[in-house]
Amino acid sequence: MTSPTPIDPGSLAIHTQGLGKRFGARAALDGVDLEVPRGVAFGFLGANGAGKTTLIRLLLGLARPTSGTMRLLGRDLPAGSAEALARVGAIIEEPRFHPHLTGRENLHVHAAARDRAAHDRIDGALARVGLAARADEKLKTYSLGMRQRLGVARCLLSDPELLILDEPMNGLDPACILEFRNLIRELVAEGRTVLLSSHLLDEVEKTCDIVAIVDDGRVVAQGSIHEITRGGQRAIDIVAHNAVEAATLLAAVPGVLRATDHEGGLRVTLSPEAPVDREIVTALLRRLLDNGVDVERVAPVRSSLEDRFLTMTTRLEDRS
Amino acid sequence: MPNLRLIQAEVLKLRRRRGMLAVAVGLTLGLMAVAYLVTAIQHGGNPAKYGPAGGAKGFTDSLQFLSVMGFIMAAIVGSTAGSQDIDSGVFRDLAATGRSRTALFLARVGGAWVVVLSILAVTLAADLAGAFAFADGTATPGGSDILQAAAMTLASGALGAALAVGLAALFGSRGPVIGILIAAHLVFEPQLQNVGFLGVARKAIPNSALNRIGDQATSGLDYKLALGTAIAVVLAWIAAALVAGAWRTKTREI
Repeated sequence: MTSPTPIDPGSLAIHTQGLGKRFGARAALDGVDLEVPRGVAFGFLGANGAGKTTLIRLLLGLARPTSGTMRLLGRDLPAGSAEALARVGAIIEEPRFHPHLTGRENLHVHAAARDRAAHDRIDGALARVGLAARADEKLKTYSLGMRQRLGVARCLLSDPELLILDEPMNGLDPACILEFRNLIRELVAEGRTVLLSSHLLDEVEKTCDIVAIVDDGRVVAQGSIHEITRGGQRAIDIVAHNAVEAATLLAAVPGVLRATDHEGGLRVTLSPEAPVDREIVTALLRRLLDNGVDVERVAPVRSSLEDRFLTMTTRLEDRS
Repeated sequence: MPNLRLIQAEVLKLRRRRGMLAVAVGLTLGLMAVAYLVTAIQHGGNPAKYGPAGGAKGFTDSLQFLSVMGFIMAAIVGSTAGSQDIDSGVFRDLAATGRSRTALFLARVGGAWVVVLSILAVTLAADLAGAFAFADGTATPGGSDILQAAAMTLASGALGAALAVGLAALFGSRGPVIGILIAAHLVFEPQLQNVGFLGVARKAIPNSALNRIGDQATSGLDYKLALGTAIAVVLAWIAAALVAGAWRTKTREI
């Protein structure tokens, strides 16, 4: 498992240790250790049913853990949940509202459960998410994208230090996703922490600084996106004349696991203990050129977050 | 504890349900107006056979009706107040603010009481106006009649709303609560009142207590309640409903 550099617990927005939640015999969460630093966009990745929403429900006091400890904004949960949650804004799965009320009235209902200043933030929050003009229309006339934006406005009523957004981009069109991504980056730039739970890997990669990958109730990797992707399979794509001969030559280079056909060229897969890329590329090229094989193109394969996610997590068919 | 802002928010949610409010007003004020109108027409057509719609007797006659319809109206409003956050999925977001769930629950009760008691107060005022306007020279209700009528009607509404909010928290939906409360109030309670072997336990039946508060005739019943006991019975049912509802709201995983 990839682990980040140890962080001072006091500087963490979220800190869980050995957190578990069982539903009968099934463990939805199994010993989750999570460290979310303050002031970052933190991606919480996992397939459907991996335990993302369960963890969020525990953090928000909506369900009780069966084991482990949690700290939110420096306060132990559940003892300090009222103080901690007063500075948290959350969207859980999809934002829900009273359909017979207007957008503004829905925010008033929510503000009543917050401190008195929350009422004063309603107009600003509506303007920030671009809903000021439609605020007095009933919720049932809102599109999914508008409801998501109103969900963010609701989060902002508490002037949150931490926003927990559970699958906030589900069902949004590309323009809305882009707006959402920009909004999250703005919020982080203001010093807020955003926990973004999602299975949209591309979006997390573009939006977040740090990620944790959860699989089958456990955190299997945690760190910066660079740290996570660096741990992936190392490979180099080579396009050379006489591919059959090239494959045989390359497979014999120390540090090469195999050389296989790949999209009209060869994919050379390196062993984890192979030397750094520059040295191995030189060695591969030398082997080919010394043996009279012309080379058209050489390109290191960069492991994406998606590659790493797919490598680390259990496939649906495996689970069933 | 619930604060005024939470109760105001509950009232807003109920006030914006135009259909439910129309039914609530129709069941109380509307039906009572129809009853006055029909009786007044009958009296006008044949005064010898039909008494006046108003007066002290007309007012007393309308009370039993008002108590029952007030309870049903309270069950509808209360069950809506008790279930709308859960039905819409908003309760999860409200609970995630860190606000005490007990406070959120009690605010629902407060909101339901504001709406129910407002409607009943207007209905009572209209009833009283009708009693005087359609007395046709007969005696009009006295101060104690009015006081007892108000106490019974408002107690009926407060009890119905509290039971409905509490049950809605237990069931998590509105429909079964309305059915259970109407069946209990109109069918089971009158039957239980006549089951002799229950003895003094029958004093705990809400109908008995409400009738005693309103000083209504309890013909056929072989037991009597002191006024203090009747008030205690109503308060005990309200407390039981609130404790059960608050407990469920607090322990529910969402």
